[in-house]
Amino acid sequence: MTMLAADSRERRAMPGLSPSLKATLTDRAPILIPVAMLILLVAIYASLREGVFTLDELNLDTAAALTLVLAATGQTIVLLRGGIDLSIGGTISLGTVLAATQFRDDPAHVALWTVLILVIGALVGVVNGVLITALRLQPFLVTLATWSILSGTALIILPIDGGGLPSFWMAFGSRNWLGLSSAVWLLAVLVLFWLWFRRTRLGIAIRATGSNERSAFLSGVSPLGINVATYALSSLFAALAALYLTTQTGAGSPTIGKDYILPSVAAAVIGGISLFGGRGGLIGTIIGAYILTIIGNLVFVLSISSYWQPIVSGVILLIAVLASSIAERSARRSLT
Amino acid sequence: MINLRRHRAILLAYLGMLLLLLLTSVVAPGFLSAAHLRSTVVLAAFIGIVALGQTFVIIGGGIDLSVPWVLNAAAVLMTLAAAGQNGPLLYIVPLLLVAGALVGAINGLGVALFGVPPIIMTLAVNVILQGGILVFTGGAPTATAPPAIQFLAVGRIAGFPVILILWIVIAVVATLLLSRSAFGRYLYAVGSSAAVATFSGVPTLATTVAAYTLSGFAAALAGMLLTGYTAQAYLGMGDPYLFTSIAAVAIGGASILGGSGNYIGTIAGALVLTILTGLLPALNLSNGALLVVYGVVILVTVSLGSESIAAFLGSFRRARRGDGAAL
Repeated sequence: MTMLAADSRERRAMPGLSPSLKATLTDRAPILIPVAMLILLVAIYASLREGVFTLDELNLDTAAALTLVLAATGQTIVLLRGGIDLSIGGTISLGTVLAATQFRDDPAHVALWTVLILVIGALVGVVNGVLITALRLQPFLVTLATWSILSGTALIILPIDGGGLPSFWMAFGSRNWLGLSSAVWLLAVLVLFWLWFRRTRLGIAIRATGSNERSAFLSGVSPLGINVATYALSSLFAALAALYLTTQTGAGSPTIGKDYILPSVAAAVIGGISLFGGRGGLIGTIIGAYILTIIGNLVFVLSISSYWQPIVSGVILLIAVLASSIAERSARRSLT
Repeated sequence: MINLRRHRAILLAYLGMLLLLLLTSVVAPGFLSAAHLRSTVVLAAFIGIVALGQTFVIIGGGIDLSVPWVLNAAAVLMTLAAAGQNGPLLYIVPLLLVAGALVGAINGLGVALFGVPPIIMTLAVNVILQGGILVFTGGAPTATAPPAIQFLAVGRIAGFPVILILWIVIAVVATLLLSRSAFGRYLYAVGSSAAVATFSGVPTLATTVAAYTLSGFAAALAGMLLTGYTAQAYLGMGDPYLFTSIAAVAIGGASILGGSGNYIGTIAGALVLTILTGLLPALNLSNGALLVVYGVVILVTVSLGSESIAAFLGSFRRARRGDGAAL
């Protein structure tokens, strides 16, 4: 009875659409909605300001968005597995603090510490993954605790914002090749990485575990292995975000990481990642991060108080998640 | 015995609190003085009141990240509207409590009616409130808390802190609600499994909305009381309470997945966090060390309460009794 009622409601809601087109639309809704939002925001931005469609603008916006994109890449991988990683805030703070206190004006030394920071980042994720699996604890609580521990460690190493970075390190952040900034090139590498990664055994296993944990484990996915790999990747990307962030700020900050925890989740969710795991991809997340960045630009161009930025971001987040949850529901309905 | 096992996590939280008190009395002898204990309890009361709402929401299987700015909004709006006078409080306080409850109801409707994940719904509401208050105040509210509020927060009746009396009343009501009311039973049912609860005739929507409504109410109440402690409202005053309210509930033995937990446990959690905060300056440790200790305490208490440890202890006990059982 209820199924019939749902069916007729569906038919009334979308008259004149063939069932297959309707299915395609609801299936693609999680990515189509953020794309439409981004186009709309860019259109508004372009109507308010000259030179939006230039390489300069692309370079600037990408440099502004890239730290969030990197942090949200790790978060995306964890969300696809059906978890969440709050500890990236601590990893980012610790990463910037280590870079600002340890880097010397010597490329070999910087290279060594870059590798060390990435290794420390990955180890944080290994600890998260082991704790979550071995003690059967909730990712939210484990990563909340490790976030606190890492932030505390960063505060002990560098109590206030400061430190310094070698000039060649910061020059990398503002360098251009073929008219494109290093941020754009890094983003291109990231997209290539993702196109490769999502088809690897690990990429498929992460998504499968997020869709249906039981069936993934029954088909031979190791619970410990998948959690360690997922959270290690997340922390590794957080460490990368920290390193990129230092090229922009030129300093370490023991508290800056917390500004990326919830926005990284927001960027992913706006981009169509389901918090229930298994659905969505990095391209959506990147679009989500750009949406959040463009909102900042718009608030600036409109010369209204910058305090409007969180309001607009929050509303966009709500619209995106409402739209995708409605789409998901109707998709589920048409399946049954 | 059955009760002992059911409330193992809560007992552990209180045991941990007593151990902490013992430890502090050794390293910092002045710590157990009446004055110091009193200030510890007063600080714990603020965490405890915020965490009251968080407890209900978490038992119902959700989480409330909108706590910081519901608290902050109530604090700022109350001090601005009252402008240091007691008179206007008569209508401002009830109005803001209702407003806080309404924000909570919106959270609950988003979660229960539209299927928005609680993390996202309450996060969005938090940033929208944050922006709203920043725009409204222009970033710098300047108003002091009225004397009546200061009395509630730091005053004493016969040497007894007023806020402690308030906290005890709240704790009794919350415990009765959870253990003796239909709402409490519904809440545990919804937290254990919303689907099963719905099919069993539990009003899932109303129960979830009620839990978030209570959380909004509690955060608004705590925000106004907190201005009495700090003597004024400032932007960002709610931010620490996101972490501490969730940590207090977790240390108190509630599962973040919902369906279990108790406000009595949360009280222990709030006290543990506050004792730790007071202990570290006595040991000459920095703010960073405090965060590290917080994290370790959460990990340890949550692992001790976790199912796998309980199963491990259970199998140990069974193995010891094994011969008898085989007969």
